[in-house]
Amino acid sequence: MNPTAMVVGVVMLLIILALCWYVSPGMGLMALIGIVVGGVLIGFGTHFVPVGGAPAAMGQAPGIATGVAMLAAGAGLAGLFGGAWAAEQGLVVATITGGVGGGLMMAITCMMVNFVYVFGMGIPSASGKVAKDPITGDTQAEFKSQGTEGHGLPFVSFVGGVTGGFLGGAGGTLIYLQLLSLYEATLPAVMGVPPAQVMPIAVAAAGIFAVGLFLVNAVLTAYNITGTIEGPHDPKFKRWPRSIVASAVASALCGFFAILIVAI
Amino acid sequence: MEQIVFGIGITALTGALATIAGSAEDTESNIGSQGDPNSQVQLAPQMGFVHRIFNKAVAGEPPAYGLWCALGAGLAWAFMAMQVNAVLAIVIGSVLAVLVQGAYATTAYLGRTASLAKFGQPVYVDILKSMTSVTMAHAFIAIFSVVTLSHLINGALGHPFPLPLLGLIWGIALGAAGSATGNPYYGKERQYQNQKFGAGVPISASGNIVRYAEAGERNSLDNGFFTHKIGGSASGICFGLIVFLELWRTILFEQISAGWGAIIVGILMILIFTVVDRYIEVWARKNYGPYTEAKVAS
Repeated sequence: MNPTAMVVGVVMLLIILALCWYVSPGMGLMALIGIVVGGVLIGFGTHFVPVGGAPAAMGQAPGIATGVAMLAAGAGLAGLFGGAWAAEQGLVVATITGGVGGGLMMAITCMMVNFVYVFGMGIPSASGKVAKDPITGDTQAEFKSQGTEGHGLPFVSFVGGVTGGFLGGAGGTLIYLQLLSLYEATLPAVMGVPPAQVMPIAVAAAGIFAVGLFLVNAVLTAYNITGTIEGPHDPKFKRWPRSIVASAVASALCGFFAILIVAI
Repeated sequence: MEQIVFGIGITALTGALATIAGSAEDTESNIGSQGDPNSQVQLAPQMGFVHRIFNKAVAGEPPAYGLWCALGAGLAWAFMAMQVNAVLAIVIGSVLAVLVQGAYATTAYLGRTASLAKFGQPVYVDILKSMTSVTMAHAFIAIFSVVTLSHLINGALGHPFPLPLLGLIWGIALGAAGSATGNPYYGKERQYQNQKFGAGVPISASGNIVRYAEAGERNSLDNGFFTHKIGGSASGICFGLIVFLELWRTILFEQISAGWGAIIVGILMILIFTVVDRYIEVWARKNYGPYTEAKVAS
């Protein structure tokens, strides 16, 4: 942990919030705060997603055999899809719906990964980072095949995947809803057209910004964990505080530009 | 009631399309070595194992499919705006997106393989000609399925997102699900068929991929044929379940208790998959047994 970098990050965040308050003190600032919270949820949630990268594809390391940012994006965007559909039900219901959508995507994916490992390749799950599964208490070392760091998805990784998907889906949906409400309120005056005509543009712009912000935060976290992580039991998980600050600053900056298109 | 029945029918159709898309995506990526196992295809010549495996991995599956599906959906949307029939528009959009995929595959193979020249790895023109067209055919099936299901979700089920954005979202989700489920089967079970079944590949064996087939040298069409049976099917079921269950819980239960019905059903489904996953894990531990004694292992 680098305290100086953390302080610099917090100062940058405050500067961006102050700029937003100056440009758009009411709705704009509230939207930006929502975007920052959503971005932090995505960044934090990505730490839970068990991704083993290339070694996992050879059964040399535990986790899902793909990129962490991409898997988190896949789950979070599936959640965003559901959350956007439920936007009319209100902020709380839509955000939770988005979270459940992301969690469901990860639950299915993690289950199918273990299915392929066990029934397709005859390999049981084993963690390389802990002696016992923190949730089930299953010992891990004796199920680790020779010359590998473990393989498959132990139960704690499955739970981490679902948690990460939930947080990512909820964060993405929150960003979408904040931008949508801002655009719905401001675009008719900016473009000089009736609110009904502006709706498709507001939905599309908010959706594209939400997808973009999702990728920004997921990639930032991928750097923080250097590409792979087993889940919440992995020692790399403890690096999350610095990622939270980075996600907050990046989300604030990106969100500020998303707000500027209707504020100026 | 009629609306719900219509919604369930569309949901079933999108689930079937997603299953086909998942299966085709995984097979396409395995023939092109686009998932994480590409690291071994790239590493092999550096360890002295020259091969005839196709390798077009210059992007992960999720961003690549996000691009191709968004492109196909965007073009289809533009053609539909020009009053072209929806089916024709989706076909033309998917074909044009596949042309981009073909250009991508060609340049990616040439670039990646040419970089291995100093290790004696040749660029095989016959591999380029025979593999690229097969990956394009599989990519067409995947892109067409995703664009069609996105159109159904947008047009028939009334999702607010425009078609290109739905193509992007489901393209990325398709790549994520397909690579997560299908990669281990290609990476471990096919590339390292010479290693022991029922164990991970020892790190010391990295790069020593299987290069010979029953007759002559193995190529990526053999790999696609092999992995499609389990890896491709599992990827198809995975993506099919994701799309089907996400739509199903929304269509049937969203109106119950102002949206909380869909949330509760979603949580219940997560719990069911959790139980199934735990059962699979325990089953493997009981039936396959430990590799070493617990007290000896460290």
